[in-house]
Amino acid sequence: MIWKGFDMRRSSSRTIGALAASALLVPLMAACGSDGRGTGSGTEAGGKNEGGTLVIYSGRSEELVAPLIEKLEKATGAKAEVRYGDSAELAAQLLEEGDRTDADLFFSQDAGALGALGKEGRLAALPQKSLDTVDKAFRAENGNWVGVSGRVRVIAYHSDKVAEAPDSVHELTKPEWKGKVGYAPTNASFQAFVTGMRVLEGDDATRKWLKDFQANDPQVYEKNGAVLDAVDDGKAELGLINHYYWYEKAAEEGADKLKAKLHFPTKGDPGALVNVAGVGVIKGSDQSTAAQKAVDFFLAKEAQTYFANETHEYPLAAGVTSEDDLPPLESIDAPEIDLSRLESLQVTLEMLQEAGMV
Amino acid sequence: MTDLRITGLTKSYGPGAPVLNGVDLSVPAGRLAAVLGPSGCGKTTMLRIVAGFLRADAGTVEIGGRIVTGPGTHLSPERRRIGIVPQEGALFPHLSVARNVAFGLAGSSPAERRRRTGDMLDLVGLHGYGDRMPHELSGGQQQRVSLARALAPEPAIVLLDEPFNALDSGLRTGVRADVRAALRSTGATGVLITHDQQEALSTADLVAVVRAGRVVQCGTPQDVYRRPDDPWVAAFVGGVVMLPGTGRGTTADTALGRIPLETPVDGAAGTVVLRPEQLTLGAPSGRAPHGTVADVSFHGPDTLVTVAVTGLDSPVHVRVSGPVAHRPGDPVSPAVTGTATLHLPRRDGNGCVAGGDGPAATA
Amino acid sequence: MKSPGTRGHQAPPAPARSDPGPDDAPAPSRPGRAGRRPPLFLLALASAAAALALLPLVYLVVRAVERGPEYAWNVVATDRTLELLARSVGLAAVVVTACLVLGISLAWLTVRTALPGRRAWSVLATLPLAVPSYVAAFAWISARPDLAGFSGAAFALTLVSYPYVYLPVAAALRGIDPAQEEAARALGHGPWSTFRRVTLPQLRPAAAGGGLLVALYVLSDFGAVSIMRYETFTRAIHTSYKASFDRTPAAALSVVLVLMTVLLVAAEARTRGRAGHARTGGGTARPASPAPLGRLKWPALGWCSAVAAAGVAFPAGTLGYWLAVGNSRTWDPRGLLETGGITLLVAALGAALTTCLALPVGVLAARHRGRTAHLLEQAAYAGHAVPGITVGLAMVFLAVRFAYPLYQELPLLVTAYAVLFLPIAVGATRAAVLQSPPVLEDVARSLGRGPLGVLREVTVPLAAPGIAAGAALTFVVCMKELPATLLLRPTGMDTLATRLWTETGTGSYAAAAPYAAVLILIAAVPSYLLGRHRT
Repeated sequence: MIWKGFDMRRSSSRTIGALAASALLVPLMAACGSDGRGTGSGTEAGGKNEGGTLVIYSGRSEELVAPLIEKLEKATGAKAEVRYGDSAELAAQLLEEGDRTDADLFFSQDAGALGALGKEGRLAALPQKSLDTVDKAFRAENGNWVGVSGRVRVIAYHSDKVAEAPDSVHELTKPEWKGKVGYAPTNASFQAFVTGMRVLEGDDATRKWLKDFQANDPQVYEKNGAVLDAVDDGKAELGLINHYYWYEKAAEEGADKLKAKLHFPTKGDPGALVNVAGVGVIKGSDQSTAAQKAVDFFLAKEAQTYFANETHEYPLAAGVTSEDDLPPLESIDAPEIDLSRLESLQVTLEMLQEAGMV
Repeated sequence: MTDLRITGLTKSYGPGAPVLNGVDLSVPAGRLAAVLGPSGCGKTTMLRIVAGFLRADAGTVEIGGRIVTGPGTHLSPERRRIGIVPQEGALFPHLSVARNVAFGLAGSSPAERRRRTGDMLDLVGLHGYGDRMPHELSGGQQQRVSLARALAPEPAIVLLDEPFNALDSGLRTGVRADVRAALRSTGATGVLITHDQQEALSTADLVAVVRAGRVVQCGTPQDVYRRPDDPWVAAFVGGVVMLPGTGRGTTADTALGRIPLETPVDGAAGTVVLRPEQLTLGAPSGRAPHGTVADVSFHGPDTLVTVAVTGLDSPVHVRVSGPVAHRPGDPVSPAVTGTATLHLPRRDGNGCVAGGDGPAATA
Repeated sequence: MKSPGTRGHQAPPAPARSDPGPDDAPAPSRPGRAGRRPPLFLLALASAAAALALLPLVYLVVRAVERGPEYAWNVVATDRTLELLARSVGLAAVVVTACLVLGISLAWLTVRTALPGRRAWSVLATLPLAVPSYVAAFAWISARPDLAGFSGAAFALTLVSYPYVYLPVAAALRGIDPAQEEAARALGHGPWSTFRRVTLPQLRPAAAGGGLLVALYVLSDFGAVSIMRYETFTRAIHTSYKASFDRTPAAALSVVLVLMTVLLVAAEARTRGRAGHARTGGGTARPASPAPLGRLKWPALGWCSAVAAAGVAFPAGTLGYWLAVGNSRTWDPRGLLETGGITLLVAALGAALTTCLALPVGVLAARHRGRTAHLLEQAAYAGHAVPGITVGLAMVFLAVRFAYPLYQELPLLVTAYAVLFLPIAVGATRAAVLQSPPVLEDVARSLGRGPLGVLREVTVPLAAPGIAAGAALTFVVCMKELPATLLLRPTGMDTLATRLWTETGTGSYAAAAPYAAVLILIAAVPSYLLGRHRT
């Protein structure tokens, strides 16, 4: 008997009745629910329904974005509602929703998802003024998305065990690093780095690097944070991570206590790829003015400083600097690459699978 | 008072021999007919078609002159006014006895429902059992509740599907009699499905013997017992003595001598069928048939004596009232009383219209 | 059927049978109910439920062929598809086998032997249902990183899904008349031989039904395989969305998954068909006397403890550890409470809708074994092996076009749960309806009830405990659902599962632990009740 004390002969029909009643509730709730929807139909031409709620689809985490949205609401007076998810899945959802979407703004963890939406014509062009706030390298060529913060791929090294960190990922396939390099193959940033290498050096060279790297018996971790921890503990001597993991750890534990240090590869090495998180305004948004304001807010000093301080990322707007002693973005000898092209991840994944990494 | 008329009912499940092969049966209003047949003869299928649970391939079922099953007609079971009493009662285990009985009284007022439920429980002798749950009743009580439930909505027809099977033999006779009395008092027309010839003969007004999807004989219990249409029926409804014999008009010549016949047959050889109680045992003498006692089995009210008769391939059974003094090996002389039937080879029969039997049908 | 509360459920004194059966049945075909036409309303409702379950297929076909069938074919017709198929099927085969061993052995020990504390063990055996596959996988890989890959995925999936086999097999064991086993023993078969030749064949339908659910669960699981880094069909579908932003390959691959489901469901139906209605009886009049374990007592206890330790204690302990070390963030009891409440609500609505939709399909499958009933039942499985993200996107696609007011509202999410989990409720309903003798429905008809009245007053009340068990199971799986919930939840709404995802996404397991703990605690309640369930 499933419910203890449930008197079969008397109350079972009542239970079923209750079940049926709750099933009837569903359509009822549908009716109520649609009343509660603040915004109008997404098919209406932009601007008709201004003053409603700004709907943001965010591929970046709630922990990071929620405080920023509060600031945004305060600064612009607009009411915003955020839907959190995985950047790629949200992009797929936006594509399925098409022009009936409620979303006004897409805040993506990486350039690839923005590029995919742009390619399908789902993003509206941004005003030149907004675009010009950031370097040409960190925005869409056709101007329908713009980067708001940047992260750099770096090589972390254990300062006691490694005298001089290698300056290129190509050195990591050498026998001297056999079994000593930690990395997170399922991490999106690592995969973006591999894509970057493909764009820079071609598929064959990348395939060879992956094969050699894998043959060199690297240590596999689930996340970048775990890679950095391993390097700091000395379990791994080198680690492939994003720069801000180190700055987060340093902020929590004290920079001088960390055995792990960072090396920013030079000479345009793919190991120093800069990827960005960015925003784009959804085409046909009925809150396009508010969305535009939000874009400008993300590029303005307050938000840029917030990114720098909270996530230790690079502020991308000209004139804003980080409090961390980050090497200036201009000083990083990052590879020249069109970030929209990082969208072509499929082949990268196939290569990673081929190499047995994921 | 409503009669039931079944005509040419045919049903098969997929290819192969049909389960029902043109069944005809007519039950006069207020009578209880037993449908008697061995396992697999199609009797349950027939009941399910009459109740409306199954559709027939051909044939009609009429209740009170209204066709409920027929070509292009299928009245759904809930609209047929048929009560059924299934094997083992099939009470709703989640409802009390009273609510089981009241189940078919959905249209009545609560007071009427209560009154009728009480009446029905009284009728089956279960006054005061209304609040019990089915699992708190004995098998016989469950069966009575099942009957009360079937009778409560005053159905035109009541179908009883081997309702006494699960009862032990001591209980069976009592429940049978009660069921008969209850049916009588409500005036419902009844059909009792059974494979037990004792039950059929003792309970019903009318017995229809079914074999391989056909009604092979139908009549009053006495008719079927005394004047079976063929040796198979004879053997199925009771113990038989079968003797090869030749018809000589109103009598037949057999190893047990000259025996009077029910219906005259002239000059043809066949099987003479008698009942064991028609035989008596005398002391062997002169020209009388000679026999030797092979076995004696005592049944209480009577004794069955097996006798090997000179000139017969197989022994005959003799039913003698009370205990007997005979012992195996004793020489005896069997004699015949009453009339017999003579069956010529390859006779076949089907169909039955017993409505004309009138009061004689009452046992 | 031992607890007194269920006595009324049983057809006294012995299970009645209205199938003409051996008494009155011609050998070649099954007469009686099989030939009976299902009532129209039942057919209509069941068709509606099946149509709902088939909705994702519409989407998949639209997406798969939008760039021409050739493109889709090129996506699918690769060595890689074959390889993925082999990997998925291999994983499913191993997990199903392991689940059968675990489920049947535990069911036997807890139902039929004198195992000390069998009540407690039977509850412990069902509790892993409450653990989401991603939590189990994560707990294990953080303790044993070397588990990554096939073995880890198989291990974690087995531990969370064997109750799908355990529950029906335990119920079937309770229903088998011990007299049959005694007869076999009397005929000279030892305990093992008796189990193999008499008991096991009768457990086959139950085990096959459970095994099918496990297989479909494995095929559609993303959480455990991604954490264990084992590439399967479903994981490839997920990466396809992520990697190419091209929905055609994902849709084409999903179609292959659906075809695989059809094969599996058909295979299961074959097992069932040959065994016939093995469980027409409503249990036994006499409970089996528990078999003494003798020298096997300690090994048996060890086996049960090991499973409970791996399936329940270990994930719980890991969560406890994260809770204990969770110093980087403060607790948010209010948020936790609110999220828990919302989770309860959506899971309850999901279970209610799924159960209501499953009812006509289950009744039809149990009572009218024709081709139509069979097709409708199979159709109900369509959504079950498709990854949640695909079902989610299908609902996005359809709702945005045809039910816009519902989009990103609770009803749509609840409907998606029904599409995903219909088979669980259908199976439970079917089994529950089969347990009560159909003759009761005939009697009700003859007493003036129409088909709907019979359903309402006889069939459903009698099957209620089993249907409720199915609802409880559905409730648990709805609670744990993640990918479709992420896509379809109203903006701003969080369930425990999405919250858990958010927190682990930012890498803070300590902050995620309270949500995981509450999720498991709530899901443990119906799981506990299922473990005590005695039908």
